[in-house]
Amino acid sequence: MKELSVAEFGRRLAHLLVSLFILLCVTFVIGRVLPTDPVGAIVGELADPAAYAAMRMRLGLDLPIYQQFFLYLNGLAHGDFGTAVLTGNPVSSDLAQAFPATFELATLAVIISTFVGVPLGLVAALFRDSLIDKIARVVALVGHSIPVFWFGIVGLVIFYAGLNWVGGPGRVDVFYEGLVTPQTGLLLVDSLLQGETEIFWNALGHIILPAIILAYAAMAYIARMTRSFTLEQLSQDYVIAARAKGVSPAGTILRHVLPNIAVQLITILAISYGGLLEGAVVTEIVFSWPGIGQYMTNALMIGDMNAIVAATIIVGFIFMFLNFLADVAYALLDPRMREAVR
Amino acid sequence: MKHFSKGLFVGAFVGALTIAAPLSYAATPKDQLVIGTSLAQVLSLDPHQATEGKAVEIMSNLYDRLVNSTPDGKIVPQLAESWKVDDKGITFTLRQAKFASGNPVTAKDVVYSIGRLLKLDQAAAANLKRVGYDKNNVDKLVTAVDDKTVRIDFSGQVTAEMLLYRLAASTTSIVDSVEVQKHVSDNDWGNAWMRTHSAGSGPFTLNRWSPNELVILDANKDYVTGAPKMKRVIVRHVPESQVERLMLERGDIDVASAMTAADLATFKDKQGFTIQRIPTGGFYVLSMNAGNQYLSNPKVREAIAYGIDYKGIEKTIMGPYGRARNVPVPENFEAAIPNPDWHLDVEKSKQLLAEAGFKDGFSLTLKTIAQTPRIDLATAIQASLAQVGIKIDIQQGNGSEIIAAHRARDFDLLIPQTSAYMPNVLGSMEQFSSNPDNSKEANNAGNFVWRSAWDIPELTALTAKASMEPDAKKRGELYVEMQKLFVEQKPAVLPMFERFEPIVLSSKVQGYVGHPTQLTRLESVTKSEAQ
Repeated sequence: MKELSVAEFGRRLAHLLVSLFILLCVTFVIGRVLPTDPVGAIVGELADPAAYAAMRMRLGLDLPIYQQFFLYLNGLAHGDFGTAVLTGNPVSSDLAQAFPATFELATLAVIISTFVGVPLGLVAALFRDSLIDKIARVVALVGHSIPVFWFGIVGLVIFYAGLNWVGGPGRVDVFYEGLVTPQTGLLLVDSLLQGETEIFWNALGHIILPAIILAYAAMAYIARMTRSFTLEQLSQDYVIAARAKGVSPAGTILRHVLPNIAVQLITILAISYGGLLEGAVVTEIVFSWPGIGQYMTNALMIGDMNAIVAATIIVGFIFMFLNFLADVAYALLDPRMREAVR
Repeated sequence: MKHFSKGLFVGAFVGALTIAAPLSYAATPKDQLVIGTSLAQVLSLDPHQATEGKAVEIMSNLYDRLVNSTPDGKIVPQLAESWKVDDKGITFTLRQAKFASGNPVTAKDVVYSIGRLLKLDQAAAANLKRVGYDKNNVDKLVTAVDDKTVRIDFSGQVTAEMLLYRLAASTTSIVDSVEVQKHVSDNDWGNAWMRTHSAGSGPFTLNRWSPNELVILDANKDYVTGAPKMKRVIVRHVPESQVERLMLERGDIDVASAMTAADLATFKDKQGFTIQRIPTGGFYVLSMNAGNQYLSNPKVREAIAYGIDYKGIEKTIMGPYGRARNVPVPENFEAAIPNPDWHLDVEKSKQLLAEAGFKDGFSLTLKTIAQTPRIDLATAIQASLAQVGIKIDIQQGNGSEIIAAHRARDFDLLIPQTSAYMPNVLGSMEQFSSNPDNSKEANNAGNFVWRSAWDIPELTALTAKASMEPDAKKRGELYVEMQKLFVEQKPAVLPMFERFEPIVLSSKVQGYVGHPTQLTRLESVTKSEAQ
């Protein structure tokens, strides 16, 4: 069993690496073929051709694309993602700065969507076709079909501009900017570590709205899936037997259904988490959130290919890695899967 | 760690839900100015490299130049206390000023700075290079007489007035040579360091620049005319116009720029806010590629000039951003000529096309940056040219794509924008009227007219003559002649609208005066509590 598991693990890991490499190739080629002009962005619109050519050479853009690709791979092998045009910093250090902001937002969002979505799905399944179920379905449908962008603006109009309940765009009120030294990069954590409770509360007020809005679509998905998993279980013999023995509905759910759908839920949550990290792009623009989504968007605007490729790979890697983890968890936790593997 | 932070988040979230109501947010403090804008184009804060408007606005507060130009266009002293003009050049006497580092500002720093600008040789150098200064002659032409005296000789292609205006631009900022030289690596003139740090003598110093997030400026307490009233200035990147509007309404920002015309309109006559419409002396332009089989014909260009509804577009789209005008000189400038009679006249336009031999019309592409108000402008042009039989296919893209296409002459029609470097005919018109060598090999991509492949030897010669004419009256006559010739030639770079930069200010802010070339200085800005 153990050897087989390791082999299976290896196979999936290889799969992950191949997928990543393909992603890298595609992103790189698209990036180099796009008619953007990072050189013009650096030396300026009015620069003379000599300065332009010199900068082009410095960035290695005069080489044939396959050579550029090998140089890039070589750099990558040494942990070097190249230099970002926009900031002049190594892309890796830019990403190290931008990623925690996205991570903080997506993590809070996944927590919210889990803690709301799972109970909502359970309740909807338990009271199938009741009013609660219908409301849950409408909530889920709305969450799935309305663009995050629109939600963001409306949310700001109501809760920020109108009711004054939450902070505005950005991670913290502007005059608190720069007062917390980044340690983990997670502002909520850093502000607490440094005893800046005022900034902590302010930062919390700022993250709540984008996190809820980001969470909403994922929450709808999680609720829908939880509902159908639960319904599937509710018709199983063991549940009927348990209920016949007089176990309360809540008890059935907690003791019998939940453990049985846990594995499926993990997969769903992993996919959602990956999706949230990705989906943060739009949310970050609306909320001026200085994360990886905004970093990528701006890199795209000026054709900063090193930054785009690296950010795409990171987001792609996380997405694939979470899927990989879910797969592994699935294999480890589900007895039937274990059988299948064996 | 992950467990810890997750636990913390859960706790925090629950906590926040219970106390959500009492959370409230104070307006910006009285001693901090918060500006909301788009920082997307800011790629560097090295004054000898960056030329983008928003970067210029920031850098003009970090650095001083020898002279300054006021918002109404006068040249006034800045680091130079006084200057003397003679036949061969200008001698500047420096005042007793210090850099933020504590080093004194000396003639050596001035020589170093102008040399650095020309030797780095990027877009920022274009302004001086256009009049004959370059990396080979700068050491000879710019010299230190003594510690506090600098001599700049004329290049032979410049008058004193034109030189002074160029020295007032942010690109000729004076940097702390001692400080910069500490940070040189790979013969880069300290550029890598200077992009994200400041070494100036201006009223503010750069505390932090996070690209596309924010810029924080700290007051320079030892500034030569005294510490600025604002302790900090924070420029925040707000890419979404509607969000910017909400932040301004809520008092989280004090000054807002780069808003869409629609969002701007909501502040019109609104209590507590004022709109400043800053003239730039520049234009929104329709560039036509004269290398194109249709557009090389002056009659076709004239047909297009008659095929655009300037007044209608001004009213419905440009709003605070522009005013209809087809001569590349704002009408309030001295020696500006009245507008030609180009206005939407479908019949006349069709007739001109027929005369040119294109009775049945033809198709063209129109490239534009997807940005307010240019994208709406493109749609309007598409609609009105369709009436005369010219079918337009709009291709939008980001800045670098469109600029690259413009530089490579790879377009039919394209909408660029310009600005004036000095408030006179030459300052706004020069880039429309000079193209020394139109050949493809000249590859003069930095020249606005060259990009349109529009060959104008006569106008180029006239522009050169005007720029060297010392007599103001004769110069005025030449200016009129230049504009008339420009109109006569049916321009392939057709100015459509004089360009304005609208900004909205909270009425708490006093002393903020937008500058036509974005050299807006903030040292005398104050804020009151009352709104």
